[in-house]
Amino acid sequence: MIEIENLQKTYRSGFLMKSKLALKGVSFHVEAGQVYGFIGPNGAGKSTTIKVLTGLLNYESGKVLVNGVSPRDVKSRTFLGYSPEQPYFYDYLTGRELLQFYGKLVGLSGAELNSRIDWALALLHADKDWIDRRLRSYSKGMMQRVGIAQSILGKPKLLILDEPMSGLDPMGRRDVREAIQQLNKDGVTIFYSSHLLSDVESISHKVAMIVDGKIVREGTVDEITESCGVEYHVRTRKAILAADLPEGVSLAGHPQEFVCADDAARDRLLGFCLANGIAVERMDHKRPSLEDILTEEIARADA
Amino acid sequence: MQTLKHIGIIALNTFRESIRDKILYNIVFLAIALTLFSIVLGEWSVFDRAYVIKSTTLSVMSLSGLLISIFVGISLVQKEIQRRTVLTLLSKPISRASFIVGKYFGLLAVVAVHLAILTIIYYLMLAVTGADPTLSLLTAIYLIFCEMAVVIAVALLFSSFSSTVLSALFTLGVYFAGHLSNQLLEQVRFASRMGEMGGTSSALFEKAAVVIHAVFPGLYRYNVTSYVVHGVALPDMYLFWNSVYALGYVGVFLAIASWWFSRRDFL
Repeated sequence: MIEIENLQKTYRSGFLMKSKLALKGVSFHVEAGQVYGFIGPNGAGKSTTIKVLTGLLNYESGKVLVNGVSPRDVKSRTFLGYSPEQPYFYDYLTGRELLQFYGKLVGLSGAELNSRIDWALALLHADKDWIDRRLRSYSKGMMQRVGIAQSILGKPKLLILDEPMSGLDPMGRRDVREAIQQLNKDGVTIFYSSHLLSDVESISHKVAMIVDGKIVREGTVDEITESCGVEYHVRTRKAILAADLPEGVSLAGHPQEFVCADDAARDRLLGFCLANGIAVERMDHKRPSLEDILTEEIARADA
Repeated sequence: MQTLKHIGIIALNTFRESIRDKILYNIVFLAIALTLFSIVLGEWSVFDRAYVIKSTTLSVMSLSGLLISIFVGISLVQKEIQRRTVLTLLSKPISRASFIVGKYFGLLAVVAVHLAILTIIYYLMLAVTGADPTLSLLTAIYLIFCEMAVVIAVALLFSSFSSTVLSALFTLGVYFAGHLSNQLLEQVRFASRMGEMGGTSSALFEKAAVVIHAVFPGLYRYNVTSYVVHGVALPDMYLFWNSVYALGYVGVFLAIASWWFSRRDFL
């Protein structure tokens, strides 16, 4: 559905056309049927990548294919739906008029257009009175729902959403999450960016992490978190002196609680406890979250 | 076929956007007021009353059409970019050329409606004041429409790559150059013939005047007010060839605007 190989994009700004490399060789693939999360800090290149995919930005080098076609070709957008970050629309139209306008642009008309609008609004729980009000009176959340609704009117095979959950209250976030899952069940491939990492973890089949214009991690959430190792937290019945602790084991703020950096350190601690008759009260493992990994990657990039 | 459909949808939306624009109403009402005021001018003037009403109203049509073409025209594309509505629109399977052409036809329709309203008022006014409402006046109005068709294309061309203020200035520049290029060429040649300029500078000025005359659209061709008001016949095929001339310029300007617009990045 999406193929990006070594994508580079430079922005030029100011009178002297000072250049800034925004994407430094981005590569990843999105297979059909996936929900693919795209995460990274502000300014990392998420929106730039998305705008290249939707044909809104040109790029200098690399290979980009959307639905098998270059985004420079209008055909790449035939089966594509896109909702930008903080969507802005013609505020002199009502929500329904706006959807009619976009629906016509994707080839819908008459009864089919109206039923497709009703379907999209129902999916996003936006089939309320406010849809017939002028857009200038809409809240951020209403605008976001209308933005996603317009992107799915053409029943796209690929849906690209830039921060679809920003500006939404918890109910709105849940609605959008459910809509994404429902669309994916219906066969739509979804590529979306988000800062809400808990949502990304819960609904994405695969995730790419971009920091400073480069993809630093890619894979399923499990693959990414496992690749960073698993920590073990152990609590014993008796205290152990810090000096006696085996290699790779450290105190976790309490003389009976320890953190083992990896499997080997865990085994060494358990062996030490057995040898010294110290009972283990509790042991659990903790994987780093996407947030932990992202924070670590940002710190590494800054360094 | 699909492209034409897209152009039609964008044109219709542009028309709807424009007719909800306050600037448009201000210009239309001002034009209507000035048109009606021409009756008073006719009474005050030392010239023939019918002549004053006819020529003043045609000038009002031309001026108000120009104001709409420039001030509504240049904001059409810029507003889409500044309000970021262009992001959603261009992510649909439509080409950037369709977007530019659709915007063009939308505004052209607004100007056409504006001129139609003024034409109706014009003829009513001529009938009421007994100022000989001949059909030949429609020729002048049609040519004003052709002129505006070119001006809108110029406005869209500039707004496809520069800011609102610069686009307005550039478009006004082209408008004045287009109206004065003929006179400039004549004056330079006249001065040269009369020996008022030296050899090198004369040749240089003449070349510059020829270039300006050749490059800028000759908008002076569309001002036939004095002909129609005095009932002087226009040359044969005048309307046809000047329509073709306008179409040629519109085609070139829209092609350049589309090409430039398709190279733009939208952040």
